[in-house]
Amino acid sequence: MAVQQKYQELINAARTAGVGNLQVREQNNVLYIDGQAPSGQVKDQLWNIYNRIDPDYRSGDLVLDIKTTNASGSKAKVVTEKSNLNIRKGPGTDQPIVGKAAHHELITVVSQTNDEWTLVRTDAGEEGYVYNRYLERVPSP
Amino acid sequence: MKRVRFNLIVVAIAALTTAGLSSCKGKTDTDTTNKTADTTSSTTTTAPVEVSSDEALLSGVKDATKDYPTVTATVENGVVTLTGTLERSKLQDLMQSIHNLKPRDVKQQLTLI
Repeated sequence: MAVQQKYQELINAARTAGVGNLQVREQNNVLYIDGQAPSGQVKDQLWNIYNRIDPDYRSGDLVLDIKTTNASGSKAKVVTEKSNLNIRKGPGTDQPIVGKAAHHELITVVSQTNDEWTLVRTDAGEEGYVYNRYLERVPSP
Repeated sequence: MKRVRFNLIVVAIAALTTAGLSSCKGKTDTDTTNKTADTTSSTTTTAPVEVSSDEALLSGVKDATKDYPTVTATVENGVVTLTGTLERSKLQDLMQSIHNLKPRDVKQQLTLI
């Protein structure tokens, strides 16, 4: 229970922000919080609280598995630092590169394969898998 | 007549005795009421925490750290350990990716620059 108390503010914020399927479990002194965030902003907000409670995430007493989903047919923005984003044949960095999406380019989400990879299509017609970290959901107009 | 009066007395005594007994009966067990604690409302169903296999974690960690060549990640028994150096501004993105892999725990031992 001690770990849960430490992160109570984070749990409350997740509830308030409408995180779906929220689960809070404690096992062997590690707290596991998982759920589905309604947006990337909510996910970042929760991670900011985590960083405030446990600076630089060093304690190793929380696994915060908050996901966001890229809806099929929606648009997503490429949010690499400045480089192009590799589009790969399959979901894995060991897969061959079949195309590139430019920094800040808008691409179409075909389907989200798993928590790490999304199948996308560019306006130029290139189709393949990109790493979710570099996609930002764009609200539909 | 004498006999009838005797019978009436017997009936009266019997009636009084019965009344006395039943009033005693009414006093039973008031102080031993079973109070069962209501725990159902405060506990939720808790399935065991799902942890990925080391093989799945290794493959996920490889993808997650690909763009951070100064970071070394090892996996042992579900625990991901991060060592090496990283710019602090990139830490949150990396940690989010690692935590989404469903590890048992994450040991963040990076030197932040």
